[in-house]
Order: sequence, then C-alpha cells, then structure tokens
Amino acid sequence: MSAGSATNLIARLEKELRELWSPPTDPSAIPMSRVCTMNIEVVASSHELLERYTPVIDEVTSFIPSRVILASMEPDSAGDEITGSATAVCSIEGGRNICSERITLRATGNACARSASAIEAFLVPEIPTALVWLGRVHVDDPVFQDLANDAHRIILDSMYTSLASLLHVVSWARTQANAPEISDMAWTRLASWQEMTARFFDNADTRHLASKITKVTLRQASEAGARLGPEPALLLGWLATRLEWKTSRLGGKIRFKRPDGGTVQIELGSVPLPPGIAPQTLAAVILEAEADGATMTGSIERELGSGAGSGQEDATHDADVMVWKLKASSCPPLEQRVRLGANKAAKWLERTLHRPKHDPAFDESVAFAEHIVQDGLTV
Amino acid sequence: MPALYNLAVSRSLPSGFAVVGVARREKSHDAFRAEMKEGVSSFSRRKPIDPALWQDFERGISYVAGTFENPKTYADLRAHLEQLDGERGTAKNRLFYLAVPPAEFGVIMKNLKEAGLVAPPSTPGSGAPWTRVIIEKPFGHDLESAKVLNDTVGQTFDESQVFRIDHYLGKETVQNLLVFRFANSLFEPLWNREHVDHVQITVAEEIGVEGRGKFYEQTGVTKDIVENHLMQLLCLTAMEPPISLAADAVRDEKVKVLRSLRPRERSMVQENVVRGQYARGYVKGDEVPAYREEPDVAKDSRIDTYVAMRVHVDNWRWGGVPFYVRAGKRLARRVTEIAIQFKKVPHGLFRAPDGGISPNVLTMRIQPDEGIALRFTTKEPGQATILRDVAMDFRYGAAFGSNTPEAYERLLLDSMRGEATLFTRRDEVEEQWSYIDNVFDAWRAEANAPPPLYAAGTWGPEQADDLLARDGRRWRRP
Repeated sequence: MSAGSATNLIARLEKELRELWSPPTDPSAIPMSRVCTMNIEVVASSHELLERYTPVIDEVTSFIPSRVILASMEPDSAGDEITGSATAVCSIEGGRNICSERITLRATGNACARSASAIEAFLVPEIPTALVWLGRVHVDDPVFQDLANDAHRIILDSMYTSLASLLHVVSWARTQANAPEISDMAWTRLASWQEMTARFFDNADTRHLASKITKVTLRQASEAGARLGPEPALLLGWLATRLEWKTSRLGGKIRFKRPDGGTVQIELGSVPLPPGIAPQTLAAVILEAEADGATMTGSIERELGSGAGSGQEDATHDADVMVWKLKASSCPPLEQRVRLGANKAAKWLERTLHRPKHDPAFDESVAFAEHIVQDGLTV
Repeated sequence: MPALYNLAVSRSLPSGFAVVGVARREKSHDAFRAEMKEGVSSFSRRKPIDPALWQDFERGISYVAGTFENPKTYADLRAHLEQLDGERGTAKNRLFYLAVPPAEFGVIMKNLKEAGLVAPPSTPGSGAPWTRVIIEKPFGHDLESAKVLNDTVGQTFDESQVFRIDHYLGKETVQNLLVFRFANSLFEPLWNREHVDHVQITVAEEIGVEGRGKFYEQTGVTKDIVENHLMQLLCLTAMEPPISLAADAVRDEKVKVLRSLRPRERSMVQENVVRGQYARGYVKGDEVPAYREEPDVAKDSRIDTYVAMRVHVDNWRWGGVPFYVRAGKRLARRVTEIAIQFKKVPHGLFRAPDGGISPNVLTMRIQPDEGIALRFTTKEPGQATILRDVAMDFRYGAAFGSNTPEAYERLLLDSMRGEATLFTRRDEVEEQWSYIDNVFDAWRAEANAPPPLYAAGTWGPEQADDLLARDGRRWRRP
C-alpha cells in the first residue's frame, strides 16, 4: 500500500503490472500468460465490504480473465488520500498460469471525489467494461456518473442494495444518450423461478390457461408487513409483462387486468426468515387459473434452509430444495423436487456478466415493478 | 543525445562521427561531456550507461562557445569541424541540428553559409561531402510565416538538404502504417468508402501546459498538435499507395491528401470544428488547475487546449467518409491512436435475443503501448446466441520486446543517411497551414468568443460530443 499523489501511485502500480509480465528469470518457472477479456470495476462503500468481495471476484476471473479494479470509497474516513496495490490472480490451465490483473484502490475523505479518474486510468481499451456497484446507488453521485458513463454494463444486486437503487439507475439510464446496460443479480437468480413457472404451461392441456390466470400468490422470507422485496417484485413484473397484464386501482388497491378483461387477484404473504437466508428472498409462487371449466393450480415452494443438510459437495446453507407442484383438472397431479445450486455470489456475477447486453424482459419487468412499488406494496 | 548514444550502443553510427555543441555559454569540452552524460543517464532507454561504450562515445563530443549573431562563432566552428575531419574521419559531412527558436534560423543559416559551412546538395551515396539541416517545429505560426521561414531556409539550403523533424513520424506504429496498409493484402481492399464508416484520430494528453504557459498562450493545441502531428497521421491514413517508398513519392501522396481536405471555407468551420479549454478537474486521481490558473496564462485567455474537427477528404476513395480528429490537453488519458471504424453488417441476422452488433474497429495505437488491435464480435459459449465484442491485440512491446528504438533514433539516423521519407517537405507544411489558417480566420471572425470549457480529466467539451452525435456517431473512449 502507498500514499501520496494519486498520479505517482498510478505510475507505480502501472510499473508493477508491467513487471508482473516480465519473463521469469527461473527457466523452470511456469510461464504466466496475461489474459484480459473485459474490465471489471467494483466499487464498494467500505474497505471491509471490498475485502469480503475480493474472493468473489477472484473466482469470477478464473472463468472470465479480466482486468479488475476494486475500489472502496469512504468519504467519512480521515486521510484524504488514495492508496492501492496491484497483483496477478492466476489459475493453472494446460501447464500455463492464466492470469488476470487485480488492482485495489482505497479512497478516503475528500479523495473519494477524485477516485473515478484513478479507476479509469487503469481501464484496458477496446474491451467491454462492467461496473459492479456494491451498496446503495445515488445517480447524482459524480463518481457513479463518471464510471457509469464509460461502462458498457452496470451490475447491481437489488437484494443487497435496494429495489429503489435499481429503479433509480434504470430511470437514470433512460435519460442517457448512450446508456450502459443495467443488470441485476437478483434478476439472474430469478431464472430458475421463471423456468419452473413456465413449465406449468408446457403441457398442451394447460397452455391456454396462461392467459386465464385468476390469482397469483407470492411469499417472501420476512416479517409480516415488510415491503415487497426485489425478487418477488421482479417476478411479478415478469409475469405481468409476459402475459400483458395492465394495472388498475380500485378503492386504493392495485389490481391486474388481463388482455381479455379478466381480473388477476394478487396475494402477498410472508414466511419466517431462517438463518443464513437473505431477507425478502422469494419463498413461494402459486398461480391459479380457470377457463371453460378447466382449472389449474401450480405452486413452487422453496424449502428455505434445506441446503444445510443436503450433503452436497460445495453446497451452501441456502442451496435449497424447490418443490414444484401442478394440479390441473385435465391431468393427474404432478410433483417434482429440484435443488438450487449453491447460492454463491461468484456464480451469480459470472452468469450476470454472461447475460445478453440487452434484455427486453428485464427492462419491461423493472418498469412494471417501478409502477407497483409506487403503491408501497407490503406482505 | 540519448538517441545518439542509443544508436552508438546498437552500432548504428558511422565510424567517422562527432557531435559538436554550440551555444553562448563558455564551457570546456569536459564540462559539456559531463552534462551530456547526465542527460543520457536520465533519459536513455539503455540504462545504466555502459562505461566502456561511453568512454568511446564521449571522445566524439566537443563544444564551441559563441553567439549566433557573431561570425567568429562560425569561423571557430569551421576550424573545429575541419580539425575533427582529420581526427575522427568525418569527411566534411555536416548535419546541423537547430534546436533554437525559429526567429534565430535566419541569422544562423546566413552565417553558416558565409562561413563556408554549407556544401552544395549532393546525391546520397555519391561519396561527395554533404550538408544537411534539421529543424524542429513550429514551422511558422500561419501560412504566411511558414512561407517566410521556408524562404529563409531556402536561401541557404536546397530543399533536399532540409529535414523538418516531426517526432511522431519516427514512431514505430506510424512507420508501420505504411507496412500494414501496403504489405498486407487483407486490409487495403477494405480501406475505402465502400467499407469504412468513419475514421477517428485522437492525440490526447493527460498533462497540462507544464510550465509552458507563455509558449501555449502563443500557440494553442491546434497549432501545437493538429497542424503537424495530427495532419501527418491523417495523411498517412488516407493517402493513396505511393509508386515507391522514395521520399518524394510518399510525400507527393501526402500532399494530395492535404489538398483534398474540406472544409476550406470559413463559413463551414463553425459546424465542423469545436474548440475547448480545460477547467479544473481530476486527472489520474489528482485535482489539477484550470488552464487559466496556470502560470503565465491570462485570466481571460481564449487559447484552445482542445480541438475536435470533422474533416472530409474529397477524393474518389474517401468521398462521404468523415475523419473525426481531436487533440487536447488534460484529457482522461494519454493516448494517440487512429481508429478505422468499419460499416455495420448490412443485415442484422443476430438481432434477437441480443441488441445490435457493434461494428468492427481497427485501431493503430501510437502511444502508449504501441500496437494494433482489431475489435470484432463473437458468440459467448453457451446455449443462447449471446454476442460479445472481443479484441485481437498486437503489442510491439509483447511481440518484439519493450526496448524498441525511440522515434528520434530512427529520424536522426535517417537524416544522416539522407533518407527524407519521414520528414516533412516544404509544400506539406504550407498545405497544412493553408488548411489550419481557415480555422483561425473563422475563430477570429467569432469576435472573441471564449472557447467552451471542459473539466480536466474528461474527454473534452459537450459540443465535441454533439459534433459526432449530429452524424449519429460517438467518440471512442480509448
């Protein structure tokens, strides 16, 4: 670590990075190959948070070799300085060390205002840049604006920041001429819920019921009366936009209208939050549909905390079982149990980095979520 | 001197070789050698100095004191050079390097001629003694002053003896532009209006005026960078294949490009040229002052520290293809590059589920990290067709080692060989000024309008973004 002029710091770190790639003096040493397919900027609101996140990034770069710039900003800390270090993070493949570069910067006090220009000094040209923002986003923050304007993708995790942060960033992006794509790791995590929800309508006997849903029940892991969390809000937005529902209000209550004029009743509830599970995690989805005497009830329930006893290698506490059930008048009851993979931050970040640059379903779901959040929905 | 020492280390200097410093201050040969050694120690790319090589090299270094106005200086110099001819076998060959303000050129050249130090022009390789002169930019401050300067030089030297040095032309990537274009069959067929959407040339510096406020107040970035370096890069990018690599063959083609540049009319400058001046901001994590807060700069200065231009090369090859060029100080990062952006694919086969496809970009990076990169689109591994931009990146440092020759080494050696391809000819200089003068005429007509401000550490004023946005394009973030 070093202090003093940021320009001197950057010059020293650039020199250290160059020296990393000097040919080894020991001829028997495993050669190091620098590989860089993208820039990943990670900005955290504290150095401790950044240190916790560093192993996540190291794991991601073993799959996506990158130039990583990790930066913490602590404007309330004393010091008014930017310090930093640089290192290579390598994994051995085919007898070679495939290495990414990791630069860690720490800005304190007034130096935070200068940190964007320090981060940008390390970007490798010609390759995409992803900005991972850990913590709440304020779109009028000049550091966020500077970094976001030069990024190709901004990644948040609305479960750990807030749905409001996500909505603010998406609104901000709409006003920019060449806005970066916005991605949310909570949305990435919803992929398995979306896939299993769509399965209710795979069968020819139930397919037509997708447009005849009468009730949606969503449960999240939280205390009763808590605000609707990002995962349930986004899933509701996804359902509504895919099925072309419109919102309406009656007596101060939000209602959904199907394209055929039918009403969709929404029931929001909560389940107890077990240890090791993030608050507001989506716990259950139940869809009910009826048309011309045919009925269907599909449910997906996550057995929260069941991952602990899975005995699976590398499983985390929240690598839960999900129980999928379909009861339809046209077919015998079906039930299937699937286990979610380990809920590891690196996995979600890697998958988010691999998502399409433009995801209309996400954009539309966020817009819808924004609409319903204005009503301050609680569970 | 570091460049000459590096040439000595690489055994590129002729055996008959000597360097003579001439300046006002009295000093001994040894004192001058000590100063030169210090400079080489600090700035040579070959560190540390090899004592055995330096000992041999410094024997050829000597010094003559005298003022430029005094004919005695030149008589002393002549006597000293004749002595060196005998001692070091320099065979009456003379290369004068004028590292002095242009105002001094006239008196120096007149005195050189009157002292009999200028031999008539000779053919390289003929064995006849030769005399050449190297002059550094600025080659004037407008067309009229450039002509006066060229006339002054022309009274003493034939054009074949004049080597106007622009160190950009000695950089490997700039030289490689010709090789890249004309030694590969892959790219030249694409190098035209059929395939190229537009070209962006950027000469960006992070530094400010660095104590040269007085100089900058007289010049600005348009005269300091655009008129010479940037115009030369544009010429090498846009020129037709020369009939050979002979100096005049290459320079003839460059002059044709300069003569085909648009806009030429003052009325078109406003919609094609944007200037700016840096305000306070952050560069590489440090706060830096505004231009007007720099020493020796007027508090209400209207000097341009940034300029962006939309230039058209009106010929068969480039009709309708804009060249967007920009240069500036206190920009986000130091980079000089030429980026050829190719046209989009004619049909968006891969539109779903991803957004559009980014066009291919070929980038020639001149500094830092000299090299060439080609950006293209590829599919990410996986079940879905997700597209991503990747870059094939060639770096001189990685491919050939980082100890590549510096620009001045190549240029000094070329001037000793009489090879003028990488030097600017009189008509090139005058065509460059002719084009730039139109810009200044228009700015003068704007009656003191101050240039738009941009925060230091950014990529210039908003108006520069608008210049491209009007064409549906945007500047690169190199």
